[in-house]
Amino acid sequence: MDLGLRLTVAAAISLSPLPLLGLRLADLQVLRHGALETRAAGEFERVAEEAAPRADIQDRAGRVLARSVPTWSCFADKAMVKDPAAFAAKLAGALGLSAREIEAKVRSSGRFAVLKSGMTAEQSEAVKRVRVDGVGLVPLQQRVYPNGDLARGVLGLVGTEGKGLAGAELTLDKRLRGEPKRFALIRDGAGHFIYKNLSDDGRVPEPVRLTIDRNVQYLAEEALRDSAAKSAFKSAFVAVQDPRDGEILALASWPPSPLKNPLVQDAYEPGSTFKIVTALSALDDGVVRLDETFDGEHGRYEVTPGVFITDHEGEGPMTLAQILEQSSNIGISKVVERIGAARFFRMARSFGFGAKTGVPLPGETSGELKPLAELTKVGLASSSYGYNLQVSAVQALGAYSAIANGGTLWEPKLILDGQAPVKVRRVASERAVRQLGEMLEGVVDRGTGMTARIPGYRVAGKTGTAHKVDPLTHKYSPTSYTASFAGYLPASAPRWTILAVVNEPKGSYYGSETAAPIFANIARRLLVLEGIAPDRPTDAALATARR
Amino acid sequence: MHARMGLGAGSAARFAGAGALVLFLCWQHVQATRLGYQVESARKDAVERRGRVAALRVEFDQRLSPEAVAVRAAKLGMIPASPDALRRLPERSSAPAGALARLWARALVPLVAASRS
Repeated sequence: MDLGLRLTVAAAISLSPLPLLGLRLADLQVLRHGALETRAAGEFERVAEEAAPRADIQDRAGRVLARSVPTWSCFADKAMVKDPAAFAAKLAGALGLSAREIEAKVRSSGRFAVLKSGMTAEQSEAVKRVRVDGVGLVPLQQRVYPNGDLARGVLGLVGTEGKGLAGAELTLDKRLRGEPKRFALIRDGAGHFIYKNLSDDGRVPEPVRLTIDRNVQYLAEEALRDSAAKSAFKSAFVAVQDPRDGEILALASWPPSPLKNPLVQDAYEPGSTFKIVTALSALDDGVVRLDETFDGEHGRYEVTPGVFITDHEGEGPMTLAQILEQSSNIGISKVVERIGAARFFRMARSFGFGAKTGVPLPGETSGELKPLAELTKVGLASSSYGYNLQVSAVQALGAYSAIANGGTLWEPKLILDGQAPVKVRRVASERAVRQLGEMLEGVVDRGTGMTARIPGYRVAGKTGTAHKVDPLTHKYSPTSYTASFAGYLPASAPRWTILAVVNEPKGSYYGSETAAPIFANIARRLLVLEGIAPDRPTDAALATARR
Repeated sequence: MHARMGLGAGSAARFAGAGALVLFLCWQHVQATRLGYQVESARKDAVERRGRVAALRVEFDQRLSPEAVAVRAAKLGMIPASPDALRRLPERSSAPAGALARLWARALVPLVAASRS
């Protein structure tokens, strides 16, 4: 056999499996390509997800109020744990738990058991170093509030799944939540991961800045705490606003709760703090002269046969300013008779009562303002001094801010988003607002609001004390009250409007005795905080205080 | 016959080139895998470090929270100031007051500056 033939035979023999191999290759690479590729990818490729942290919530100066930090949760897969006692003994040190506790968790029912959650990076590394089968770590984002309970009524709450459940965390949920980064990884034979590529860049949200001032909020909460320590009451709240642009600086409530914000969600009968509506209506329409007097009827006035209005102190003739200073219900109800229901109702609506303010917090109440048709003579009289209607704290705060800034009602602003403040409307003429402002200064200087005085500074405000409706009898309770004080300072160029409301005070129950001191406490601290110079330096009380 | 059985110079070069290309691709694949390990390790390290930074920031914010500052101030015997404790200082004049201060500003400060330069 010649060489050529032998080579041909050898080649034919050695190459004979090639068609079979080719067919097999075509089967694997072409016909079953898709299924096999998917199977291989399932075994070796992984998509790792890196959770995007929820955005920070900051105060107006950029100080952090809420932040998300990565934490780890350690779990045990009981199916992989052969000896629970040995497993627990190995992990006890790394987890900082007793071996008995871990063993009890491992022996509990169900396949998986959470051994520890909220672990730091160091703790998770310590667990990784313990080489034991059946233990796993899950990365999570935990919401942390570095200032403790500060402003929790505003901030709200985040659930374990990172979803806002209450407060700003709920209303701003979409803005605060990010989208996770996703990476494609390949796992090698030893189980190590090899980075392949970035499959989704994700989105890290920008921090949200509130108008809340951390320091002002703290002062408001501290004043409530101090008051609660000195006197007994069911609950209380304080709101502080910048009257120049409607920005809310503090919303504090006691007892604090992240689930509910009574300043936005609850409505209350404001009592005499509502007299500003009646007074401003009278001044704006020019139906009452400043020197004109109304008979105080010495404390008892029959509005309609059998229906009496009483004042706690009997007075004779009073001007409108004196009516406010003495907080006379009889006087103001005589003023509202002059104004009429239509004008009174229009002014109340103009202040924004009976409508939501638009503050971006969940569950805002619109309060309750009786329709014009329901304002009978008695109903109108009681509405003139803040009964027969309900307001929210944010509405009352906005109304006093409108007086403070010369008559502009601002939409309450809670988020600093670069947008200009929204002017709702002008509530009355500049002249009428100025006259009312002077009367409110008189309330603090000579009237029921004297406990809100601050030597050297012009303070304007109004006290309020209202009987609460007994939920059982649906009648006004003789022993249950809402006490309040609303005002602003320095009256020469107002910087802060402060509302303090005390719900069901025990013992002394007047607004002047319970709410006005809270107002004064916060106001004094704010003046020092901002270094505001006295706007009444000739005040005799100031000289006494400095001596 | 010998010429036909042996490889030509061009073919040899092509074989060598192809071999080099295969070797280069293998080397590149190995390098990519090695870098993949490093990137994954660095990514995990970055996640851990970011966690530590976030935890430290929270601790920093907690220490500067008004309540924590108030507690430390109270321990030092400090009390909140009252508004009547506020004193408005007169505006400071930019020109130094007093003969010695003026002498320092006019004569000695330039001398010191010149000696330093």
